[in-house]
Amino acid sequence: MNSLDPRVNRLPQVGQPEHVEPKAPLDQFGTFEVFVQPKEGKPFQHEGIVHAPNLEMAFVLAKEAFTRRFQCVSLYVVDTRNVYVSAMTEGNQSVFELIHDTPEQPGEKESYEIFFLTKRGKQHIHIGSVTAATPGEALTLTAKDYKTDKIIYNVWAIRTNDIRFTKPEEQELWLTLPEKKFRDASAYKAGDKLKDFLEKVNN
Amino acid sequence: MDNLALKELLYKIADDQLILGHRNSEWTGMGPLLEEDIAFSSMAQDKIGQSHALYSILHELGEQDPDTIAFTRNAEQFHNCILTELPNGEYDFSLMRHFFYDTAEIIRFDMLTVSSYKPLAELAVKVRAELRYHTLHANTWIKQLGNATEESIARLQRSLDHALPYALGIFEESPYEKQLIADGIFEGEVALMENWKNRVEEIIEQTQLHLPGWSTLNPVYGGRSGKHSEHLQPLLDEMSEVFKIDPGAEW
Amino acid sequence: MYGGGNTFEGIKTDSLAQEDPVKLAEFETRIERGEKIEPTDWMPQLYRKQLIRMIEQHAHSEIIGALPEGTWITRAPGFKRKLSLMAKVQDEVGHAQLLYSAAETLGKSREEMINDLITGKSKYSNIFNYPAFTWADSCFISWLVDAGAIVNQLANAKGSYGPYCRALDRICAEESFHLKYGHHCVIYLATGTEKQRQMFQEALNRWWPPMMHFFGPSDKISAHTEVLMKWKVKMSSNDDMRNQFLDMYVPKIWELGFTIPDPLLKKNTDTGRWEYTEPDWQEFKRVINGDGPCNKERLEVRRVAEERGRWVREALKTPKATYVTPLA
Repeated sequence: MNSLDPRVNRLPQVGQPEHVEPKAPLDQFGTFEVFVQPKEGKPFQHEGIVHAPNLEMAFVLAKEAFTRRFQCVSLYVVDTRNVYVSAMTEGNQSVFELIHDTPEQPGEKESYEIFFLTKRGKQHIHIGSVTAATPGEALTLTAKDYKTDKIIYNVWAIRTNDIRFTKPEEQELWLTLPEKKFRDASAYKAGDKLKDFLEKVNN
Repeated sequence: MDNLALKELLYKIADDQLILGHRNSEWTGMGPLLEEDIAFSSMAQDKIGQSHALYSILHELGEQDPDTIAFTRNAEQFHNCILTELPNGEYDFSLMRHFFYDTAEIIRFDMLTVSSYKPLAELAVKVRAELRYHTLHANTWIKQLGNATEESIARLQRSLDHALPYALGIFEESPYEKQLIADGIFEGEVALMENWKNRVEEIIEQTQLHLPGWSTLNPVYGGRSGKHSEHLQPLLDEMSEVFKIDPGAEW
Repeated sequence: MYGGGNTFEGIKTDSLAQEDPVKLAEFETRIERGEKIEPTDWMPQLYRKQLIRMIEQHAHSEIIGALPEGTWITRAPGFKRKLSLMAKVQDEVGHAQLLYSAAETLGKSREEMINDLITGKSKYSNIFNYPAFTWADSCFISWLVDAGAIVNQLANAKGSYGPYCRALDRICAEESFHLKYGHHCVIYLATGTEKQRQMFQEALNRWWPPMMHFFGPSDKISAHTEVLMKWKVKMSSNDDMRNQFLDMYVPKIWELGFTIPDPLLKKNTDTGRWEYTEPDWQEFKRVINGDGPCNKERLEVRRVAEERGRWVREALKTPKATYVTPLA
């Protein structure tokens, strides 16, 4: 290829020019939901998704996709398929009005992390955890344990064991983040240069 | 303390980071997956930033300012190991180089956190934190692709075989080795390399890749004393292309 | 941020006749109240289709837009410019990632979207079919193309679809330094040597016509999009956005002593609107349909990038994986 871009000129020829092999399903893998803790003491909140082949890779990729720009102290990811989602309500209706009381379920109890949506259009926020045998039971317990006057429009429940958390020794991943000033608008002050220039031009 | 020994050490690490940072940045917009594109770019930025921090220490020691050092020297004045200047090749080579190089660097900076030269010891704590991600990233990818398909294993093996002699070039000793060790500035390339071999073995053992016997390998030296491959000068020309349009200008 | 100049086809509103009138009324009332629509909510087919089209075009623009600037990373003069440009272009790739995700919540997979990009079926912002000859071209893009996109995106962030708005909020926050960086670069060229000033003047001469095309065809000739405005999919008319851009940036360009290559360009003080030579919409059409200076290269680079990454992705594909639509 004869290009103005030196990188493009270094590219190898791949396949037949102009021949496009369409992507098969799952070429971009499945998705993982990403949660970020902006500051010590603040709750985790949902930030978005990454495409990744597995949970560990999702953690590695989410770190730069979602925490390279703003304050962050911790991160976790979970397979989208492992998020249990309640119904969605609107107006003055709280989702707890729609959650049927699930009686206590047989089986081993497990910990679930619980997330609330308190305003439509915003993101889900971590509220706490419950111990239950099934996701349904987890939602019922949530309604009791985290009773609130606020309207909750949607609840997510995720088995704690399905989450890839930040390990203690990984905490230092964000150590130098605040020093990367080139990502801040405040690093680009040229007012004085402009002023000098305008004064020179206008005289 | 002799500044010549210290400066030589700073130059070679900084030049490594600068050149590899540029190579890695060439993947921007062309990575195998959007998410990986972003991750690779971050690590390239870290490397460029780390080289800047090291050139700034050199500047304090009386060398020219970082921009002049980084963008006006010729190939024979660069001390980077040849591994860092090789073209990116395909993703398997870029990844294998990243694994070999960052495995060495995290050990190097870990050692430097106790350097008797305080500015370097302080910087090393920060660099090590950034490298923590680089090695997490490299190890994860190598373990995954090194255990995946026939094609991925074969590609990684080819790149491993190709890159390894160059990787040993990271540890080409400086004429000041004894002095650096005696002054407590740096424990030396031999200690670094021994550690590195163990760490590399530990990861490669978890894959279906094979390391050749260390004694069968011929390290590619020369970079540390300014003898480079034909690939470095064109890259340096590219890096200084805009500067050269108008050398007196501020950009 | 690179969106802008989205192309909409003519809308046949008669397709709405097949929608449930009660649900449609509820949907429209919700939008009127200023509430967001979420992926699990009921929505008309036309809304879904047009949103996918718009968000997907926006995502493609980011990933293709990373190419003309990305080429300047290795050549950027000095540490400061280099780190900024690397972080900026990285952000654009990140924005593509966010936008593809938002579009996915509407039911189109990322694979399908990338297929449509590399086969030329989907469009991306036309401005990236032009080449970046010099460092000054990359400065023009960072400052003024981003500025144009911000005009568009700030409007769209007030739209009705939750995931798109959230992506745009994040994008706008990340963007805050891009425009400043671009302006900073141009101030240095403007206040620098004669050669530097000339470089930027030449870049301005090259990029002005595509910049005027950026916001899409004039309202007089563009497709009717009233229903999209009502549903808060399209938030502002092409001419309004163009006018807003001119209002904000022409004075800043003139302030630096550069000449904009349009003798008719001036603000009509009576109407408050800018007047300019009518952009060449035939040229716009020709380029968007594939006949621009860089269309071929841009798509070929994407195809090669996808092809080179194929073995990596195939190696890590797990047979047990299944795709579900991401949540939000």
